[in-house]
Amino acid sequence: MGLWHLNTVGPCMSYVDNGSCVPPPGPALWGPLGLTYNGQLITCPKHYRQSTNWVSNFFYEPGNDRIIAHIVLNTTYWPSWDVQRYEFNAEDGAWCNREEALARQAWIGIWGAAYTRAATMGSFNKIYACRNNETDIREISWQYAEPVSGGWSANPYTWNPKSIYGYAVVNRIDNLLAAAANWTLDCWRNISTTPERFAQLRLPNVLNYLAYESRNYCWVITQDGVICKADYQIPRWEMISTVQNPEADALKYFITYDTKRKRVVVFRQRPDAADGACQHQLEFYYPMVKAGQLTQPVPVTSLKAGNRIILAANLIGDAGEGVTPYTVAGEMLSPVEGRLVTPFSGTELNGRVCFQYQAPDHACTETLGLKVTVEES
Amino acid sequence: MNEKVFQSARLAQPVATGDYWQHLCYVSTWDAFLAQSGGEWSRVFRDGAKVKFGKPSGSYVMLGRVKGFPAYWSQWTLKVHPAFEVNGLPNPNEVLNPNWNIGYSLGPSSLTGKFIDDINQVYLHQPNANRIDIYSLEDGRKVGEIVHNAGEYFASLAWVQPGQVAGLCRTSGKVRIMDYLSSPRVLATGRIDPFKVAAYDSTFKLFFTIGTDHKTRVYCGELWPNGLSAPVFEPATVYGLKGNRVRVRLTGQDGEPLPGWWVNWELEGVGGEIIGSLDKYGNLTDADGYASNLYIGPDDGSTGQCKIKARVVL
Repeated sequence: MGLWHLNTVGPCMSYVDNGSCVPPPGPALWGPLGLTYNGQLITCPKHYRQSTNWVSNFFYEPGNDRIIAHIVLNTTYWPSWDVQRYEFNAEDGAWCNREEALARQAWIGIWGAAYTRAATMGSFNKIYACRNNETDIREISWQYAEPVSGGWSANPYTWNPKSIYGYAVVNRIDNLLAAAANWTLDCWRNISTTPERFAQLRLPNVLNYLAYESRNYCWVITQDGVICKADYQIPRWEMISTVQNPEADALKYFITYDTKRKRVVVFRQRPDAADGACQHQLEFYYPMVKAGQLTQPVPVTSLKAGNRIILAANLIGDAGEGVTPYTVAGEMLSPVEGRLVTPFSGTELNGRVCFQYQAPDHACTETLGLKVTVEES
Repeated sequence: MNEKVFQSARLAQPVATGDYWQHLCYVSTWDAFLAQSGGEWSRVFRDGAKVKFGKPSGSYVMLGRVKGFPAYWSQWTLKVHPAFEVNGLPNPNEVLNPNWNIGYSLGPSSLTGKFIDDINQVYLHQPNANRIDIYSLEDGRKVGEIVHNAGEYFASLAWVQPGQVAGLCRTSGKVRIMDYLSSPRVLATGRIDPFKVAAYDSTFKLFFTIGTDHKTRVYCGELWPNGLSAPVFEPATVYGLKGNRVRVRLTGQDGEPLPGWWVNWELEGVGGEIIGSLDKYGNLTDADGYASNLYIGPDDGSTGQCKIKARVVL
């Protein structure tokens, strides 16, 4: 199982354009333009009045069927920062509130964005998040990232062992909580009565974001773009995959799960372009089998003349996971002296294919070419 | 020397400068190898393809486990944990040695491999470079030992099949297949090239290494020929009008017989015509490494010299 890359919307949003730039060293704080903060944003060749400081929250909001990002911006205008809510169509990633956000009307206030982090959907289609200014995990409003008055909350710092989390998925139906601070995902049960940490899952790398899928599953994305799916009830790892082109200049990754379309959405935070333009992108993935590479066939039995020789290769996904079911065709490249006994082989569960070759009774050099056809639909 | 069936052109090297592989384990359900360095978890395939998927944390030290999986020893809790099948990461929720803490002096390191068989409840420890001690996981009692006399610690102890482990020496390249269950002893010996990390591929019975040059190498259990003896007639006197038995012996580096190799025979005249004929012009070495033939002497009473050449097809 891997993640099939459906499409990328990049850039998925943009900043307020200043329309002009100021030659270096850039505008003074007090100058002919009036009060200008963060002058580097409009110092040539840059010409945008905003830039991303940090992304507070990124989640799927099922009530409106939208992907939401709460972003704290550095700005040239007063008071030098801004917090906007960016809304994207969950179907195609189109920026729904473009006019509103560029007119700076999607303002959500500083407290939600500053104090709330890593929000994700949880039980009853509500949004839950950890907090920076307290140890509670709270139900928050999707618009403003502020705690909902009278909403659900829990404080793992009062549990045994005392815990403080930066990321959490809340399953109130089964009384479960899966939460992480950095390297481990802690799984708690009986969270409404006597919470008990019943298991831990070690993460493959530093966590970037955690997303809820269902009463059983959650998704993690690490700082190098590796995506894992976990069953937090058992708990165990269910799948490992990765974003497309993880080596590109990503600053951070954020992940959410679109429960309506059953697919993964990744927000890739990227540095601004040379002219200061926003380059963040949304990537849509469908969890299914996806072949990434076919390894070279390697002989696994003695290469003696006259022997029946077995050669093994692996069809694998982007994270090295075995991929099946595919048929791999083998072909001897001329000059051929022996005989390929099995011209094709089906992949086993771990993506392995095996070919049998009958060697002649004398020394020779042979080349086996392998080919697999992966159809994209 | 074991037969090297493959050497990669690809380099399986950790990404970060100065980083190096510390542990390698064949994961039977992946049909690939889990490689761990200071800053990297990777899957490595036989052809040298490498896919990085994470970064180790938590001071877990890898060791071999029954059935071809990794296990992890924690130096803080002295417990051994299994690995998750999907990504090979330690699963701290399960403990393989609940009844006996494996102390600091008995734990694995990147220099001396250890092995745990939680099905048969034993733990293999190397007290010195020539011996493996077998401990019971139930109470930490020593229940047996294997004297292998390799003269070097095995960097890896890896599962071969029920009751058997492979030991691989990093510097000398010595390898041993050992029984640790029914009657602890060395079952087979061999030699491969020196390596950085190594594992045993329990599916195809192969030794797999990543060298200091970052190339992957695959060795099968069969030994590679080192010498073919000159043809010897038995009895030594050769007669005409008769099949005279002649044989050669194929041996490995340490004089072991090498069965199943093709030998090609040829007659060559010495300053004249070829005299007589051979019964066969190609056959296989037998279980003792011998390939036999019949030289049929001339039937016309002629005399002279003739050379028999025997060659191995490599």
